[in-house]
Amino acid sequence: MNRILIVEDDKDISRELKELLENSGYEAEVLSCFKNACDSIIAAEPDLVLLDINIPYMNGEMLLQQLRSKSDVPVIMVTSRDSEADEVLSMSYGADDYITKPYNPTILLLRINAVFKRLGAKSDNTTTYRGMEILPHKGVIKYKDDEITLTKNEMTIFMYLLSHREHIVSRDELMTELWNNEEYLNDNALTVNISRLRGRFKDIGMEDVIETRKGQGYILV
Amino acid sequence: MKLGKYIKDRLYSVCIFVAMIIISVLMMAAFKVSVQLIIAEIFIMTICYIAVVLADYYRRKKFYDELETNLAALEEKYLITETLIRPAFYEGGIFYDTVSDIDRSMSENVKKYRLGMENFKEYVEMWIHEIKLPIASLTLILHNHMDKCDKEFADRMNTQIRRINNYIEQILYYVRSENAEKDYIINESKLSKIISAVALKNKDDLLENNITFEVSNADKIVLTDAKWMEFMLNQIVSNSIKYKDKTKAESYIKISAAEDKKCVVLEILDNGIGINASDLPRVFDKSFTGENGHEYSKATGMGLYIVKKLCDKLGSEVSIESVKGEYTRVKITFYKNDFYKEITDSNESGSM
Repeated sequence: MNRILIVEDDKDISRELKELLENSGYEAEVLSCFKNACDSIIAAEPDLVLLDINIPYMNGEMLLQQLRSKSDVPVIMVTSRDSEADEVLSMSYGADDYITKPYNPTILLLRINAVFKRLGAKSDNTTTYRGMEILPHKGVIKYKDDEITLTKNEMTIFMYLLSHREHIVSRDELMTELWNNEEYLNDNALTVNISRLRGRFKDIGMEDVIETRKGQGYILV
Repeated sequence: MKLGKYIKDRLYSVCIFVAMIIISVLMMAAFKVSVQLIIAEIFIMTICYIAVVLADYYRRKKFYDELETNLAALEEKYLITETLIRPAFYEGGIFYDTVSDIDRSMSENVKKYRLGMENFKEYVEMWIHEIKLPIASLTLILHNHMDKCDKEFADRMNTQIRRINNYIEQILYYVRSENAEKDYIINESKLSKIISAVALKNKDDLLENNITFEVSNADKIVLTDAKWMEFMLNQIVSNSIKYKDKTKAESYIKISAAEDKKCVVLEILDNGIGINASDLPRVFDKSFTGENGHEYSKATGMGLYIVKKLCDKLGSEVSIESVKGEYTRVKITFYKNDFYKEITDSNESGSM
Protein backbone atom coordinates (compact mmCIF):
# COMPACT_ATOMS: atom_id res chain seq x y z
CA MET A 1 0.00 0.00 0.00
CA ASN A 2 1.35 3.41 -0.92
CA ARG A 3 1.94 5.81 1.93
CA ILE A 4 1.12 9.48 1.45
CA LEU A 5 2.24 12.22 3.79
CA ILE A 6 0.03 15.30 4.04
CA VAL A 7 1.86 18.53 4.83
CA GLU A 8 -0.98 20.97 5.42
CA ASP A 9 -1.64 23.26 8.37
CA ASP A 10 -5.40 23.60 7.93
CA LYS A 11 -6.74 20.97 10.32
CA ASP A 12 -10.07 20.48 8.55
CA ILE A 13 -8.52 20.01 5.17
CA SER A 14 -5.85 17.61 6.37
CA ARG A 15 -8.43 15.54 8.24
CA GLU A 16 -10.70 15.26 5.22
CA LEU A 17 -7.77 14.70 2.90
CA LYS A 18 -6.61 11.82 5.08
CA GLU A 19 -10.06 10.30 4.96
CA LEU A 20 -10.27 10.75 1.20
CA LEU A 21 -6.92 9.05 0.65
CA GLU A 22 -7.73 6.20 3.03
CA ASN A 23 -11.07 5.62 1.34
CA SER A 24 -9.20 5.33 -1.93
CA GLY A 25 -6.87 2.65 -0.65
CA TYR A 26 -3.84 4.68 0.35
CA GLU A 27 -2.19 4.85 3.71
CA ALA A 28 -2.26 8.50 4.77
CA GLU A 29 -0.45 10.37 7.47
CA VAL A 30 -0.61 14.03 8.50
CA LEU A 31 2.56 15.88 9.43
CA SER A 32 1.88 17.20 12.92
CA CYS A 33 4.87 19.41 13.58
CA PHE A 34 6.20 21.86 11.06
CA LYS A 35 9.28 22.91 12.95
CA ASN A 36 11.79 20.59 11.35
CA ALA A 37 9.49 19.77 8.49
CA CYS A 38 12.18 18.60 6.11
CA ASP A 39 13.71 16.08 8.53
CA SER A 40 10.29 14.91 9.68
CA ILE A 41 9.27 14.26 6.09
CA ILE A 42 12.39 12.24 5.40
CA ALA A 43 11.99 10.36 8.69
CA ALA A 44 8.41 9.43 7.80
CA GLU A 45 9.63 7.75 4.59
CA PRO A 46 6.48 8.37 2.58
CA ASP A 47 5.92 7.23 -1.00
CA LEU A 48 4.46 10.61 -1.89
CA VAL A 49 4.12 14.02 -0.25
CA LEU A 50 1.18 16.39 -0.64
CA LEU A 51 2.72 19.75 0.15
CA ASP A 52 0.96 23.05 0.79
CA ILE A 53 2.79 26.30 0.05
CA ASN A 54 1.41 28.32 2.96
CA ILE A 55 2.71 26.41 5.95
CA PRO A 56 4.08 27.66 9.26
CA TYR A 57 7.79 28.45 9.77
CA MET A 58 8.79 27.94 6.20
CA ASN A 59 7.38 28.57 2.78
CA GLY A 60 6.42 25.33 1.03
CA GLU A 61 8.52 26.18 -1.98
CA MET A 62 11.61 26.56 0.19
CA LEU A 63 10.78 23.35 1.99
CA LEU A 64 10.53 21.64 -1.39
CA GLN A 65 13.94 22.97 -2.37
CA GLN A 66 15.43 21.73 0.89
CA LEU A 67 13.73 18.37 0.54
CA ARG A 68 14.97 17.96 -3.02
CA SER A 69 18.58 18.36 -1.91
CA LYS A 70 18.15 15.29 0.27
CA SER A 71 15.45 13.14 -1.24
CA ASP A 72 13.74 12.16 -4.49
CA VAL A 73 10.36 11.44 -2.92
CA PRO A 74 7.55 12.47 -5.30
CA VAL A 75 5.91 15.72 -4.27
CA ILE A 76 2.59 17.15 -5.38
CA MET A 77 2.10 20.79 -4.46
CA VAL A 78 -1.45 21.41 -3.26
CA THR A 79 -2.10 25.07 -2.70
CA SER A 80 -4.51 27.94 -2.94
CA ARG A 81 -1.89 30.00 -4.75
CA ASP A 82 -2.89 29.73 -8.33
CA SER A 83 -0.66 31.97 -10.39
CA GLU A 84 1.42 30.61 -13.23
CA ALA A 85 4.51 32.03 -11.51
CA ASP A 86 3.93 29.90 -8.40
CA GLU A 87 3.45 26.82 -10.52
CA VAL A 88 6.50 27.43 -12.69
CA LEU A 89 8.60 28.04 -9.58
CA SER A 90 7.39 24.89 -7.81
CA MET A 91 7.91 22.73 -10.88
CA SER A 92 11.41 24.12 -11.32
CA TYR A 93 12.17 23.21 -7.71
CA GLY A 94 11.29 19.64 -8.57
CA ALA A 95 7.59 19.20 -7.79
CA ASP A 96 5.99 16.33 -9.68
CA ASP A 97 2.64 18.03 -10.03
CA TYR A 98 0.83 21.17 -8.97
CA ILE A 99 -2.82 21.31 -7.96
CA THR A 100 -4.72 24.37 -6.83
CA LYS A 101 -7.31 24.51 -4.10
CA PRO A 102 -10.20 24.10 -4.12
CA TYR A 103 -9.74 20.98 -6.19
CA ASN A 104 -12.14 18.36 -7.33
CA PRO A 105 -11.33 15.34 -5.09
CA THR A 106 -11.69 12.90 -7.98
CA ILE A 107 -9.17 14.88 -10.00
CA LEU A 108 -6.77 15.01 -7.06
CA LEU A 109 -6.92 11.21 -6.84
CA LEU A 110 -6.36 10.93 -10.58
CA ARG A 111 -3.26 13.07 -10.39
CA ILE A 112 -1.89 11.12 -7.41
CA ASN A 113 -2.56 7.93 -9.32
CA ALA A 114 -0.80 9.37 -12.37
CA VAL A 115 2.33 10.16 -10.36
CA PHE A 116 2.47 6.61 -8.99
CA LYS A 117 1.84 5.21 -12.44
CA ARG A 118 4.70 7.25 -13.87
CA LEU A 119 6.98 5.94 -11.13
CA GLY A 120 6.03 2.33 -11.58
CA ALA A 121 5.88 2.45 -15.37
CA LYS A 122 7.27 -0.79 -16.69
CA SER A 123 9.05 -0.93 -19.97
CA ASP A 124 6.81 -3.55 -21.53
CA ASN A 125 3.61 -1.87 -20.39
CA THR A 126 1.64 -5.08 -20.36
CA THR A 127 -0.63 -6.21 -17.57
CA THR A 128 -2.54 -9.35 -16.99
CA TYR A 129 -6.03 -9.91 -15.69
CA ARG A 130 -7.65 -13.32 -15.21
CA GLY A 131 -5.31 -14.88 -17.71
CA MET A 132 -5.80 -12.15 -20.25
CA GLU A 133 -2.84 -10.24 -21.55
CA ILE A 134 -3.53 -6.52 -21.89
CA LEU A 135 -1.57 -4.20 -24.18
CA PRO A 136 -3.00 -0.78 -23.37
CA HIS A 137 -1.01 1.16 -25.95
CA LYS A 138 -2.08 -1.09 -28.79
CA GLY A 139 -5.62 -1.27 -27.45
CA VAL A 140 -5.44 -5.07 -27.61
CA ILE A 141 -6.45 -7.79 -25.15
CA LYS A 142 -5.25 -11.34 -25.77
CA TYR A 143 -6.93 -14.35 -24.21
CA LYS A 144 -5.89 -17.87 -25.13
CA ASP A 145 -6.01 -17.82 -28.93
CA ASP A 146 -8.47 -14.96 -29.16
CA GLU A 147 -7.64 -11.32 -29.52
CA ILE A 148 -9.97 -8.35 -29.11
CA THR A 149 -9.36 -4.75 -30.04
CA LEU A 150 -10.73 -1.97 -27.87
CA THR A 151 -11.30 1.66 -28.81
CA LYS A 152 -9.38 4.30 -26.89
CA ASN A 153 -12.40 5.09 -24.71
CA GLU A 154 -13.11 1.44 -23.95
CA MET A 155 -9.47 0.89 -23.02
CA THR A 156 -9.47 3.98 -20.78
CA ILE A 157 -12.55 2.69 -18.96
CA PHE A 158 -11.18 -0.81 -18.65
CA MET A 159 -7.77 0.33 -17.39
CA TYR A 160 -9.42 2.54 -14.81
CA LEU A 161 -11.62 -0.31 -13.57
CA LEU A 162 -8.58 -2.58 -13.55
CA SER A 163 -6.49 -0.23 -11.45
CA HIS A 164 -9.38 -0.02 -8.98
CA ARG A 165 -10.14 -3.73 -8.77
CA GLU A 166 -12.22 -4.72 -5.78
CA HIS A 167 -13.37 -1.11 -5.42
CA ILE A 168 -16.63 0.23 -6.71
CA VAL A 169 -15.99 2.83 -9.37
CA SER A 170 -18.68 5.47 -9.77
CA ARG A 171 -19.84 6.74 -13.15
CA ASP A 172 -18.56 10.14 -12.11
CA GLU A 173 -15.06 8.75 -11.61
CA LEU A 174 -15.10 7.07 -15.02
CA MET A 175 -16.40 10.24 -16.58
CA THR A 176 -13.68 12.32 -14.89
CA GLU A 177 -11.01 9.89 -16.09
CA LEU A 178 -12.32 10.07 -19.67
CA TRP A 179 -12.59 13.87 -19.65
CA ASN A 180 -9.13 14.05 -18.15
CA ASN A 181 -7.97 12.14 -21.24
CA GLU A 182 -9.64 14.75 -23.44
CA GLU A 183 -12.54 12.48 -24.34
CA TYR A 184 -15.61 14.57 -23.65
CA LEU A 185 -18.31 11.89 -23.52
CA ASN A 186 -21.86 12.41 -22.36
CA ASP A 187 -23.89 10.09 -20.14
CA ASN A 188 -25.38 8.08 -22.98
CA ALA A 189 -22.03 7.59 -24.64
CA LEU A 190 -20.57 6.25 -21.39
CA THR A 191 -23.41 3.73 -21.10
CA VAL A 192 -22.89 2.70 -24.72
CA ASN A 193 -19.14 2.31 -24.19
CA ILE A 194 -19.61 0.13 -21.13
CA SER A 195 -22.11 -2.13 -22.80
CA ARG A 196 -19.84 -2.43 -25.86
CA LEU A 197 -16.96 -3.27 -23.53
CA ARG A 198 -19.07 -6.01 -21.96
CA GLY A 199 -19.91 -7.25 -25.42
CA ARG A 200 -16.25 -7.58 -26.34
CA PHE A 201 -15.52 -9.65 -23.26
CA LYS A 202 -18.54 -11.79 -24.01
CA ASP A 203 -17.02 -12.47 -27.44
CA ILE A 204 -14.06 -14.19 -25.82
CA GLY A 205 -16.20 -15.98 -23.33
CA MET A 206 -15.61 -13.71 -20.35
CA GLU A 207 -19.11 -12.79 -19.25
CA ASP A 208 -19.89 -10.69 -16.20
CA VAL A 209 -16.45 -9.19 -15.96
CA ILE A 210 -17.95 -5.81 -15.17
CA GLU A 211 -20.70 -5.86 -12.59
CA THR A 212 -23.13 -3.03 -12.07
CA ARG A 213 -23.75 -1.95 -8.50
CA LYS A 214 -27.05 -0.19 -8.60
CA GLY A 215 -26.85 3.45 -7.62
CA GLN A 216 -23.12 3.23 -6.96
CA GLY A 217 -21.25 2.36 -10.10
CA TYR A 218 -19.29 -0.53 -11.52
CA ILE A 219 -16.87 -3.08 -10.20
CA LEU A 220 -14.40 -5.32 -11.97
CA VAL A 221 -14.53 -8.87 -10.64
CA MET B 1 0.90 85.19 -25.91
CA LYS B 2 -0.42 87.84 -28.30
CA LEU B 3 0.60 91.48 -28.19
CA GLY B 4 -2.87 92.78 -29.09
CA LYS B 5 -4.50 90.86 -26.28
CA TYR B 6 -1.77 91.91 -23.89
CA ILE B 7 -2.28 95.57 -24.69
CA LYS B 8 -6.02 95.18 -24.43
CA ASP B 9 -5.47 93.72 -20.98
CA ARG B 10 -3.31 96.81 -20.14
CA LEU B 11 -5.85 99.31 -21.50
CA TYR B 12 -6.01 101.08 -18.12
CA SER B 13 -2.30 101.85 -18.33
CA VAL B 14 -2.67 103.20 -21.88
CA CYS B 15 -5.55 105.39 -20.69
CA ILE B 16 -3.49 106.70 -17.77
CA PHE B 17 -0.58 107.37 -20.13
CA VAL B 18 -2.78 109.28 -22.60
CA ALA B 19 -4.30 111.25 -19.69
CA MET B 20 -0.81 112.07 -18.45
CA ILE B 21 0.21 113.33 -21.90
CA ILE B 22 -2.89 115.50 -22.15
CA ILE B 23 -2.36 116.94 -18.64
CA SER B 24 1.34 117.57 -19.35
CA VAL B 25 0.58 119.26 -22.67
CA LEU B 26 -2.05 121.45 -21.03
CA MET B 27 0.31 122.28 -18.16
CA MET B 28 3.20 123.06 -20.49
CA ALA B 29 0.88 125.19 -22.64
CA ALA B 30 -0.22 127.06 -19.49
CA PHE B 31 3.42 127.72 -18.61
CA LYS B 32 3.95 128.88 -22.17
CA VAL B 33 6.63 126.34 -22.93
CA SER B 34 7.74 126.36 -26.56
CA VAL B 35 5.89 124.04 -28.98
CA GLN B 36 9.12 122.27 -29.98
CA LEU B 37 9.78 121.30 -26.39
CA ILE B 38 6.24 120.01 -26.00
CA ILE B 39 6.57 117.85 -29.12
CA ALA B 40 9.97 116.57 -28.00
CA GLU B 41 8.56 115.81 -24.54
CA ILE B 42 5.59 113.88 -25.99
CA PHE B 43 7.94 111.99 -28.24
CA ILE B 44 10.33 110.98 -25.46
CA MET B 45 7.53 109.98 -23.10
CA THR B 46 5.80 107.86 -25.77
CA ILE B 47 9.03 106.09 -26.70
CA CYS B 48 9.74 105.37 -23.05
CA TYR B 49 6.23 104.11 -22.46
CA ILE B 50 6.34 101.77 -25.46
CA ALA B 51 9.73 100.52 -24.34
CA VAL B 52 8.37 99.72 -20.87
CA VAL B 53 5.33 97.93 -22.27
CA LEU B 54 7.37 95.90 -24.76
CA ALA B 55 10.01 94.92 -22.23
CA ASP B 56 7.32 93.77 -19.84
CA TYR B 57 5.52 91.94 -22.63
CA TYR B 58 8.57 89.99 -23.80
CA ARG B 59 9.55 88.98 -20.30
CA ARG B 60 6.16 87.34 -19.85
CA LYS B 61 5.84 86.08 -23.37
CA LYS B 62 8.89 83.86 -23.04
CA PHE B 63 7.46 82.09 -19.98
CA TYR B 64 3.82 81.84 -21.03
CA ASP B 65 4.60 80.68 -24.57
CA GLU B 66 6.72 77.87 -23.20
CA LEU B 67 3.95 77.01 -20.74
CA GLU B 68 1.35 76.81 -23.48
CA THR B 69 3.38 74.71 -25.93
CA ASN B 70 4.61 72.34 -23.22
CA LEU B 71 1.13 71.90 -21.81
CA ALA B 72 -0.28 71.08 -25.22
CA ALA B 73 2.46 68.54 -25.86
CA LEU B 74 2.29 66.86 -22.44
CA GLU B 75 0.05 63.88 -21.87
CA GLU B 76 0.40 63.97 -18.10
CA LYS B 77 -0.42 67.66 -17.62
CA TYR B 78 0.43 67.57 -13.94
CA LEU B 79 4.11 67.29 -14.83
CA ILE B 80 4.11 70.80 -16.36
CA THR B 81 6.20 72.46 -13.65
CA GLU B 82 8.96 69.94 -14.27
CA THR B 83 9.34 71.23 -17.82
CA LEU B 84 9.60 74.96 -16.95
CA ILE B 85 12.26 77.19 -15.41
CA ARG B 86 11.01 79.37 -12.60
CA PRO B 87 10.41 82.78 -14.25
CA ALA B 88 12.23 85.91 -13.08
CA PHE B 89 9.24 88.26 -13.02
CA TYR B 90 7.28 88.59 -9.83
CA GLU B 91 3.80 87.22 -10.64
CA GLY B 92 5.36 84.51 -12.74
CA GLY B 93 7.24 83.41 -9.67
CA ILE B 94 4.09 83.34 -7.57
CA PHE B 95 2.26 81.42 -10.27
CA TYR B 96 5.07 78.91 -10.65
CA ASP B 97 5.41 78.32 -6.91
CA THR B 98 1.67 77.93 -6.50
CA VAL B 99 1.37 75.37 -9.26
CA SER B 100 4.36 73.44 -7.89
CA ASP B 101 2.78 73.38 -4.45
CA ILE B 102 -0.57 72.25 -5.80
CA ASP B 103 1.14 69.53 -7.80
CA ARG B 104 3.09 68.28 -4.86
CA SER B 105 0.10 68.16 -2.58
CA MET B 106 -1.95 66.44 -5.29
CA SER B 107 0.63 63.76 -5.93
CA GLU B 108 0.89 63.13 -2.22
CA ASN B 109 -2.85 62.74 -2.15
CA VAL B 110 -2.80 60.40 -5.14
CA LYS B 111 -0.02 58.41 -3.56
CA LYS B 112 -2.10 58.00 -0.44
CA TYR B 113 -4.95 56.59 -2.47
CA ARG B 114 -2.69 54.39 -4.54
CA LEU B 115 -1.18 52.95 -1.39
CA GLY B 116 -4.64 52.42 0.03
CA MET B 117 -5.69 50.70 -3.18
CA GLU B 118 -2.62 48.49 -3.17
CA ASN B 119 -3.22 47.50 0.44
CA PHE B 120 -6.79 46.73 -0.42
CA LYS B 121 -5.77 44.60 -3.40
CA GLU B 122 -3.25 42.75 -1.29
CA TYR B 123 -5.89 42.10 1.30
CA VAL B 124 -8.37 40.88 -1.30
CA GLU B 125 -5.79 38.49 -2.75
CA MET B 126 -4.95 37.18 0.69
CA TRP B 127 -8.62 36.88 1.53
CA ILE B 128 -9.23 34.91 -1.64
CA HIS B 129 -6.51 32.43 -0.67
CA GLU B 130 -8.07 32.12 2.77
CA ILE B 131 -11.63 31.62 1.55
CA LYS B 132 -10.44 28.82 -0.71
CA LEU B 133 -9.52 26.74 2.33
CA PRO B 134 -13.03 26.33 3.75
CA ILE B 135 -14.31 25.76 0.22
CA ALA B 136 -11.72 23.02 -0.25
CA SER B 137 -12.77 21.52 3.08
CA LEU B 138 -16.41 21.72 2.09
CA THR B 139 -15.76 19.94 -1.20
CA LEU B 140 -13.77 17.22 0.54
CA ILE B 141 -16.34 16.76 3.32
CA LEU B 142 -19.11 16.43 0.78
CA HIS B 143 -17.09 13.97 -1.28
CA ASN B 144 -16.08 11.87 1.73
CA HIS B 145 -19.58 11.65 3.12
CA MET B 146 -21.42 11.04 -0.11
CA ASP B 147 -22.83 7.82 1.37
CA LYS B 148 -24.66 9.79 4.06
CA CYS B 149 -26.71 11.84 1.62
CA ASP B 150 -28.51 11.14 -1.61
CA LYS B 151 -26.95 11.95 -4.95
CA GLU B 152 -29.33 14.73 -5.85
CA PHE B 153 -28.50 16.55 -2.63
CA ALA B 154 -24.77 16.20 -3.24
CA ASP B 155 -25.14 17.39 -6.84
CA ARG B 156 -27.05 20.46 -5.75
CA MET B 157 -24.44 21.26 -3.13
CA ASN B 158 -21.67 20.81 -5.65
CA THR B 159 -23.39 23.11 -8.11
CA GLN B 160 -23.51 25.83 -5.48
CA ILE B 161 -19.86 25.29 -4.54
CA ARG B 162 -18.96 25.66 -8.19
CA ARG B 163 -20.89 28.91 -8.31
CA ILE B 164 -18.99 30.23 -5.31
CA ASN B 165 -15.73 29.22 -6.95
CA ASN B 166 -16.65 30.96 -10.14
CA TYR B 167 -17.39 34.23 -8.38
CA ILE B 168 -14.19 34.00 -6.37
CA GLU B 169 -12.14 33.47 -9.51
CA GLN B 170 -13.85 36.46 -11.05
CA ILE B 171 -12.84 38.82 -8.28
CA LEU B 172 -9.31 37.41 -8.16
CA TYR B 173 -8.78 38.04 -11.85
CA TYR B 174 -10.53 41.41 -11.64
CA VAL B 175 -7.97 42.46 -9.05
CA ARG B 176 -5.20 41.08 -11.22
CA SER B 177 -6.45 42.76 -14.36
CA GLU B 178 -6.64 46.14 -12.60
CA ASN B 179 -3.19 45.74 -11.16
CA ALA B 180 -0.50 47.75 -12.87
CA GLU B 181 2.16 45.20 -12.03
CA LYS B 182 3.00 42.48 -14.45
CA ASP B 183 2.03 39.37 -12.54
CA TYR B 184 1.68 36.94 -15.40
CA ILE B 185 4.15 34.73 -17.19
CA ILE B 186 3.95 34.20 -20.90
CA ASN B 187 4.90 30.65 -21.76
CA GLU B 188 4.39 28.22 -24.56
CA SER B 189 1.17 26.55 -23.46
CA LYS B 190 -0.74 23.73 -25.01
CA LEU B 191 -4.28 24.77 -25.89
CA SER B 192 -5.66 21.25 -25.52
CA LYS B 193 -4.38 21.11 -21.94
CA ILE B 194 -6.05 24.40 -21.05
CA ILE B 195 -9.28 23.26 -22.70
CA SER B 196 -9.16 19.97 -20.81
CA ALA B 197 -8.78 21.78 -17.48
CA VAL B 198 -11.77 23.99 -18.28
CA ALA B 199 -13.79 21.00 -19.49
CA LEU B 200 -13.14 19.15 -16.24
CA LYS B 201 -14.14 22.21 -14.25
CA ASN B 202 -17.45 22.44 -16.09
CA LYS B 203 -17.99 18.72 -16.57
CA ASP B 204 -20.90 18.37 -14.17
CA ASP B 205 -22.71 21.45 -15.46
CA LEU B 206 -22.24 20.32 -19.05
CA LEU B 207 -23.53 16.82 -18.30
CA GLU B 208 -26.45 18.04 -16.19
CA ASN B 209 -27.49 20.45 -18.90
CA ASN B 210 -27.01 17.85 -21.61
CA ILE B 211 -24.62 19.98 -23.61
CA THR B 212 -22.36 18.24 -26.08
CA PHE B 213 -18.77 19.36 -25.66
CA GLU B 214 -16.70 18.98 -28.78
CA VAL B 215 -13.05 19.81 -29.25
CA SER B 216 -11.16 19.64 -32.52
CA ASN B 217 -7.70 20.65 -33.77
CA ALA B 218 -6.76 21.91 -30.35
CA ASP B 219 -3.25 20.45 -30.18
CA LYS B 220 -1.69 23.86 -30.81
CA ILE B 221 0.96 25.68 -28.83
CA VAL B 222 0.24 29.31 -28.01
CA LEU B 223 2.09 32.05 -26.18
CA THR B 224 0.05 32.94 -23.13
CA ASP B 225 -0.21 32.65 -19.36
CA ALA B 226 -1.87 29.25 -18.97
CA LYS B 227 -3.66 30.19 -15.74
CA TRP B 228 -5.05 33.43 -17.11
CA MET B 229 -6.12 31.69 -20.28
CA GLU B 230 -7.83 28.98 -18.28
CA PHE B 231 -9.80 31.64 -16.43
CA MET B 232 -10.78 33.38 -19.67
CA LEU B 233 -11.89 30.19 -21.37
CA ASN B 234 -13.78 29.19 -18.26
CA GLN B 235 -15.71 32.48 -18.31
CA ILE B 236 -16.63 31.98 -21.95
CA VAL B 237 -17.65 28.34 -21.48
CA SER B 238 -19.72 29.10 -18.39
CA ASN B 239 -21.48 31.84 -20.33
CA SER B 240 -22.28 29.29 -23.02
CA ILE B 241 -23.72 26.98 -20.38
CA LYS B 242 -25.63 29.77 -18.66
CA TYR B 243 -27.20 31.00 -21.88
CA LYS B 244 -28.07 27.64 -23.38
CA ASP B 245 -31.15 27.63 -25.60
CA LYS B 246 -33.61 25.31 -23.88
CA THR B 247 -35.91 25.27 -26.91
CA LYS B 248 -33.32 23.53 -29.05
CA ALA B 249 -33.28 19.73 -29.11
CA GLU B 250 -29.51 19.54 -29.01
CA SER B 251 -27.15 21.98 -27.35
CA TYR B 252 -23.48 22.07 -28.08
CA ILE B 253 -20.25 23.92 -27.39
CA LYS B 254 -17.66 23.42 -30.10
CA ILE B 255 -14.10 24.47 -29.50
CA SER B 256 -11.58 24.48 -32.29
CA ALA B 257 -8.36 26.18 -33.22
CA ALA B 258 -6.88 27.35 -36.50
CA GLU B 259 -3.33 28.34 -37.18
CA ASP B 260 -1.59 30.46 -39.77
CA LYS B 261 1.81 32.09 -40.06
CA LYS B 262 0.97 35.01 -37.82
CA CYS B 263 -1.35 33.64 -35.21
CA VAL B 264 -3.45 30.89 -33.64
CA VAL B 265 -7.17 31.56 -33.39
CA LEU B 266 -9.20 29.73 -30.79
CA GLU B 267 -12.90 29.60 -31.50
CA ILE B 268 -15.67 28.78 -29.04
CA LEU B 269 -18.98 28.27 -30.77
CA ASP B 270 -22.28 27.49 -29.07
CA ASN B 271 -25.86 27.26 -30.27
CA GLY B 272 -27.25 29.07 -27.25
CA ILE B 273 -29.69 31.94 -27.17
CA GLY B 274 -27.25 34.36 -28.81
CA ILE B 275 -26.89 38.06 -28.20
CA ASN B 276 -29.02 40.95 -29.43
CA ALA B 277 -27.35 42.85 -32.28
CA SER B 278 -27.80 46.07 -30.31
CA ASP B 279 -26.09 44.59 -27.24
CA LEU B 280 -23.21 43.08 -29.15
CA PRO B 281 -20.90 46.12 -29.34
CA ARG B 282 -21.11 46.59 -25.59
CA VAL B 283 -20.60 43.07 -24.22
CA PHE B 284 -17.02 43.83 -23.19
CA ASP B 285 -18.04 46.98 -21.29
CA LYS B 286 -17.78 47.01 -17.54
CA SER B 287 -21.00 46.08 -15.75
CA PHE B 288 -22.87 45.72 -19.00
CA THR B 289 -25.52 43.04 -18.68
CA GLY B 290 -27.73 43.53 -21.74
CA GLU B 291 -31.01 41.82 -22.35
CA ASN B 292 -29.75 38.29 -21.69
CA GLY B 293 -28.28 39.31 -18.37
CA HIS B 294 -31.62 40.67 -17.19
CA GLU B 295 -33.87 38.04 -18.64
CA TYR B 296 -32.20 34.72 -18.11
CA SER B 297 -30.13 34.90 -15.01
CA LYS B 298 -28.53 37.44 -12.82
CA ALA B 299 -25.36 38.63 -14.47
CA THR B 300 -22.66 40.79 -12.96
CA GLY B 301 -21.52 42.05 -16.34
CA MET B 302 -17.94 41.57 -15.22
CA GLY B 303 -16.95 38.28 -16.84
CA LEU B 304 -16.34 39.42 -20.40
CA TYR B 305 -15.01 42.79 -19.24
CA ILE B 306 -12.27 41.01 -17.28
CA VAL B 307 -11.62 38.65 -20.21
CA LYS B 308 -11.08 41.62 -22.50
CA LYS B 309 -8.77 43.33 -20.03
CA LEU B 310 -6.66 40.23 -19.51
CA CYS B 311 -6.47 39.68 -23.27
CA ASP B 312 -5.22 43.25 -23.73
CA LYS B 313 -2.55 42.69 -21.12
CA LEU B 314 -1.40 39.44 -22.69
CA GLY B 315 -1.32 40.97 -26.16
CA SER B 316 -4.09 38.69 -27.43
CA GLU B 317 -7.35 39.72 -29.00
CA VAL B 318 -10.88 38.66 -28.22
CA SER B 319 -13.90 39.19 -30.43
CA ILE B 320 -17.48 38.03 -30.36
CA GLU B 321 -20.09 37.53 -33.03
CA SER B 322 -23.60 36.29 -32.61
CA VAL B 323 -27.00 35.93 -34.18
CA LYS B 324 -29.86 36.10 -31.72
CA GLY B 325 -31.48 32.71 -31.31
CA GLU B 326 -28.85 30.94 -33.37
CA TYR B 327 -25.29 31.00 -32.14
CA THR B 328 -22.54 32.83 -30.32
CA ARG B 329 -18.97 32.61 -31.51
CA VAL B 330 -16.08 33.90 -29.43
CA LYS B 331 -12.65 34.10 -30.98
CA ILE B 332 -9.36 34.57 -29.19
CA THR B 333 -6.33 35.39 -31.29
CA PHE B 334 -2.86 34.52 -30.03
CA TYR B 335 -0.04 36.12 -31.95
CA LYS B 336 3.14 34.22 -32.62
CA ASN B 337 6.57 35.01 -31.38
CA ASP B 338 7.83 37.57 -33.92
CA PHE B 339 4.57 39.37 -34.10
CA TYR B 340 4.16 39.26 -30.37
CA LYS B 341 7.59 40.76 -29.90
CA GLU B 342 6.76 43.57 -32.26
CA ILE B 343 3.62 44.41 -30.33
CA THR B 344 5.26 44.36 -26.93
CA ASP B 345 8.21 46.36 -28.23
CA SER B 346 6.00 49.04 -29.71
CA ASN B 347 3.94 49.06 -26.52
CA GLU B 348 7.04 49.58 -24.48
CA SER B 349 8.41 52.36 -26.64
CA GLY B 350 4.93 53.88 -26.80
CA SER B 351 4.64 54.09 -23.05
CA MET B 352 8.04 55.65 -22.63
